[in-house]
Amino acid sequence: MTRTIFTMPWMKRFTAFSLFFLSAVTLLSAQAWIRTGTGLGVEKIRLAVPDFKLITNDTGTQNLAMTFNTTLADDLQNAGIFDMVSRSFFPLQVPGAPQEVDLSAWGNPPPNAGMLVFGNLAVQQGYLNVQGWLYDTKNPQLPQVLGKQYREQATDENARLIAHRFADEIIFRLGGGVPGIAESKIYFVSNRSGAKEIWQMDYDGANQKQLTHLGSIALSPRISPDGSRVAFCGLTKGGWQILMYSLDLGRLVSFPHFAGDNYSPAWSSDGQNIAFSSSRSGHPEIYAVNSFGAGLHALTQGKGPDVSPVWNPKTNAEIAFVSGRTKLPQIYTMASDGTNLVRVTDQGYAVSPAWSPNGQFLAFAWIRHYGPGAPGASDIYVMDVASKQWVQLTHDAGRNDFPSWSPDNRHIVFQSNRTGKEEIWTMLADGSQQRQLTTKGENSQPNWSFK
Amino acid sequence: MAADVDIFASEGSVRGPLLGSLALHVAVFLLALFGYLIPFGHRESWGGTTGGGGAISATLVDTIPLPAPPVETQNVLANESKGLTQSPPKETPKEEPKAIPIPAREAKRKGPNEERKKPPPKEVAKVEPNKIPFGEGGPVSGPYGTFSAGGAKGGLSFTGGTGDFGSRFGWYVDAVRRKVSQNWLEYEVDPSIVTAHRVYITFDITRSGQPVNIQIEQSSGVPSLDISALRALQRIDTFGPLPQEYSGNYVSVEFWFDYKR
Repeated sequence: MTRTIFTMPWMKRFTAFSLFFLSAVTLLSAQAWIRTGTGLGVEKIRLAVPDFKLITNDTGTQNLAMTFNTTLADDLQNAGIFDMVSRSFFPLQVPGAPQEVDLSAWGNPPPNAGMLVFGNLAVQQGYLNVQGWLYDTKNPQLPQVLGKQYREQATDENARLIAHRFADEIIFRLGGGVPGIAESKIYFVSNRSGAKEIWQMDYDGANQKQLTHLGSIALSPRISPDGSRVAFCGLTKGGWQILMYSLDLGRLVSFPHFAGDNYSPAWSSDGQNIAFSSSRSGHPEIYAVNSFGAGLHALTQGKGPDVSPVWNPKTNAEIAFVSGRTKLPQIYTMASDGTNLVRVTDQGYAVSPAWSPNGQFLAFAWIRHYGPGAPGASDIYVMDVASKQWVQLTHDAGRNDFPSWSPDNRHIVFQSNRTGKEEIWTMLADGSQQRQLTTKGENSQPNWSFK
Repeated sequence: MAADVDIFASEGSVRGPLLGSLALHVAVFLLALFGYLIPFGHRESWGGTTGGGGAISATLVDTIPLPAPPVETQNVLANESKGLTQSPPKETPKEEPKAIPIPAREAKRKGPNEERKKPPPKEVAKVEPNKIPFGEGGPVSGPYGTFSAGGAKGGLSFTGGTGDFGSRFGWYVDAVRRKVSQNWLEYEVDPSIVTAHRVYITFDITRSGQPVNIQIEQSSGVPSLDISALRALQRIDTFGPLPQEYSGNYVSVEFWFDYKR
């Protein structure tokens, strides 16, 4: 006779069940729980960033310290997720190490900081040593959230680099796992060398340097997802062609030439495909090739010019583009094989779509009331693709065009002529904190790197 | 007659259990029929002729005592006496270790030791009486762990139930709350809904910060609200890695969504 739990005498059965139940309960209670919800306040984190303490005190270190401190504070301010505590509210005693920190002085009025960033700087034997901490002022038992140490050769460039790295770490920890953008780059077109060439700069406008030296016209730069190559379109002897510049090699690398005029290359976020518009069939249509330029196939057809494709970076299954099939340019989306065409804008003159990294929003330049007698300003708009609800980000400030999203989904870089000539501007994705990044020459068509 | 296989092979006879079952069935049947006879305490009689029944007997009177007009209470704010609230007691100023007159060398040596022996400062924000709190507004002070759910759920109560994780890593709880709130698209809820009960969603956060096992623990009764809450969680790739000081492999989260149009 087989013994099962149902044939055991009832007493044994009862103890077996109760033991099982108790052990299940104790196992469940051993794991940690968080209980929280919406409506409890999503105010920004109040962050206090005093200057880092100097351990070695000569002019060289002081200059490096100034670069470091301003860069760190700027990066954290620009992140868009912190409410920075004003310097006038800082306590007089600035900590340089954990044992010097008085959490109650920072956590209570007047600073009322939620988090504190502090640390120290020293230059020893030609190396810049930085130690930095991130402390939770409301948690005296376990205040440390981050503790980092950096060591690089003592140059201004490296002081800035360390500040960017530390700021990115803080933003990653406190911003919900989204990496910071302090080390990302922006590629743009500038004519300050005499001809329109492709340039590169840091996300905050520092380190602007020229990349291409074509001597003719180079437009619409697009950096590859891995950051190794910049695709752009340039005027060559064979007309407008898609050209490829290698950042690793510092020169142009080969890419097939196509018939007709070819513009606005766009990388898919997996780096496998490039979409662009080509007039090889007589008028501009959207084509796609692989990252080596092979496998050319058309995605759109029919009347009307189709230009400016962009891939949905989250899924790579959709492409947004501009089409003039209804006379004025409007934004459309289609599947990446050309099917399922959907019109996105309903009126006016809409160009330059840019898809947000999370795949939810399209930023574009729109003249909502276009035509003779209409005000006709071009402004940056952001539209939620699923619901078609849109928000206007720039107002009454010149002609704004060519938006591009940052990899953290929180910033948009664009070109604006509100100062009288075309310059590159940046802002938060809600339209606040608009800042000018370039000043020399005429600068346009910015493209933010993927990481 | 062919030998038939007894397909109901059992270990012993079924007679014992069968009789027991029959007895129980009979008992239940009898209880259903005659249970009303069992005296279970006070019994109401429904409309019987014998008095009771809760009827009020009315008698004729000359005057009716009317309720008196409300007595005017002293306005607490208008007079000079102290209010009902009490200000927190003034804290005695801490003794400065350096105030003790000892030679400079010894003071330096004692300095770090003194600091270590000092108890950690209290985390509650102290507001001194008769002083307007100045400076800029700050975050909610106090331990992060005290979020009361308040929703009735089968008799269990969750007041302040975040346990150890919330008080140690309040910044992580804040980041989770912020991220979910930002990813919740309220327009996905049916536009005809004005208010709704809370929907509780449970999920686990893995070591790498990914939300897994997303489930509805208690529905709000509005399907579009439940689905929008689930979608908010599904949109999130990561909350950021769990703090290194936390030893567990995952954290369980119970998240509620309050919808108000």
